[in-house]
Amino acid sequence: MADGALSPGVNLEAFSQAIAAIQALRSSVTRVFDCLKDGMRNKETLEGREKGFVAAFQESLHSVSRDLGELERLSNLVGKPSENHPLHNSGLLSLDPVQDKTPLYSQLLQAYKWSNKLQYHAGLASGLLNQQSLKRSANQMGVSAKRRPKAQPTTLVLPPQYVDDVISRIDRMFPEMSIQLSRPNGTSAMLLVTLGKVLKVIVVMRSLFIDRTIVKGYSENVYTEDGKLDIWSKSNYQVFQKVTDHATTALLHYQLPQMPDVVVRSFMTWLRSYIKLFQAPCQRCGKFLQDGLPPTWRDFRTLEAFHDTCRQ
Amino acid sequence: VGTVPVAEGKSVQQTVELLARRLEALGAEKQGTFGVDCETYHTAATLGTQGQTGKLMYVMHNSEYPLSCFALFENGPCLVADANFDTLMVKLKGFFQNAKANKIESRGTRYQYCDFLVKLGTVTMGPSARGISVEVEYCPCVIANDCWNLLMEFMQSFMGSHTPGIPSVFGSKHDSTYSPGDTMVQYMELFNKIRKQQQVPVAGIR
Repeated sequence: MADGALSPGVNLEAFSQAIAAIQALRSSVTRVFDCLKDGMRNKETLEGREKGFVAAFQESLHSVSRDLGELERLSNLVGKPSENHPLHNSGLLSLDPVQDKTPLYSQLLQAYKWSNKLQYHAGLASGLLNQQSLKRSANQMGVSAKRRPKAQPTTLVLPPQYVDDVISRIDRMFPEMSIQLSRPNGTSAMLLVTLGKVLKVIVVMRSLFIDRTIVKGYSENVYTEDGKLDIWSKSNYQVFQKVTDHATTALLHYQLPQMPDVVVRSFMTWLRSYIKLFQAPCQRCGKFLQDGLPPTWRDFRTLEAFHDTCRQ
Repeated sequence: VGTVPVAEGKSVQQTVELLARRLEALGAEKQGTFGVDCETYHTAATLGTQGQTGKLMYVMHNSEYPLSCFALFENGPCLVADANFDTLMVKLKGFFQNAKANKIESRGTRYQYCDFLVKLGTVTMGPSARGISVEVEYCPCVIANDCWNLLMEFMQSFMGSHTPGIPSVFGSKHDSTYSPGDTMVQYMELFNKIRKQQQVPVAGIR
């Protein structure tokens, strides 16, 4: 049945011959080993025994190589059936009789469609993003949407020394902000920023790129049980969960791939405006509370305080 | 982070219910109960010079910190100890005498609204209800002065014109970290105030 489906480009004759050749090859190989196993026996003289054994062994080896040659010749005739199938080798999956049990093939087709679509949309998106020159994807001129591999080769290999330098300069710039730098896993730095007595921020860096931030309360624990910085859990307080969201937004806003240190500095400047998180009223409605939350949003340029819903 | 007495012309019970209803209308959720109690001890007369009234010491417990016991002097230091401090006080009977009749406590419901914690309690002394305590805490903030304006606004939203003034502990704290002891000092001051106006069972607005 399977062969029938492949028939258009396949020489069926050659196929059956090839199968026969494989059988011949197997039997001749078996003969070689039989001969070796039996060894030298049933001969009167030592010389006769050796001669007979060598001759038999030689002959069986010859037949092996002959059969092998035959098989190689036939395999050329058979050709490559899979070339003809639109999905190449994966197309053979559709011929698998166990298909009813495992929906592998239909899933594969689905995935293929999705990836096609994804590629198309990614292309469109990168085209649109390239028009906005100050955003994160600024310097990607290519059509591909893979932003990191292209953007970072130069900035990813900054020496740790330089990163330390930039961070400590920022640390000295803001007296009410203390930055603790650690490298628990290799060269990527993790910062624990303590802002006054208001909040603590965990910043995960990759070279000088900020990958992730988490904002927690001043009184909250930022370490896991084994003493490492806890970069996964959220704050227990709604205010700081909100601020975490805004900080992530800020990460995406402050992007200048050519000058990563400026990015870190402006992010920290923005973060510093949270020192008055509980003291500053909203610049629009003039109130402190809205739905039980203080103004958690800080404008990127003016650093003014707004409620999440009061900002433009 | 504040304790506030509110008593109106109506009965204590009615006022508590009114406040609770307003809180729930805001969207606060009930979260069980709480209790704060306070016992008074006199320093024994033998210790102090004759004729001078002995100093008062207050031993307080807060259900929020079940393993701690707070001992406070009026205007004096606040001592935070383990809960078995009580047994120690029994041993010190010679120096400190328990004024049994003066035991005062506040019990009520605990509410949570976003990051705020509100404890609405009825203050009782002996068998009679004497007033209402409202404690409002804003958990994310560790410096009381920073979030006072915020607290004010929140309290106004459910207490209206009865919003209290800034508690005196805040003034001395400046920008140091707020501690459970500061809450207890406020409760002590509140209890003392309520005790003093014993003679007037139905009090005006404070």
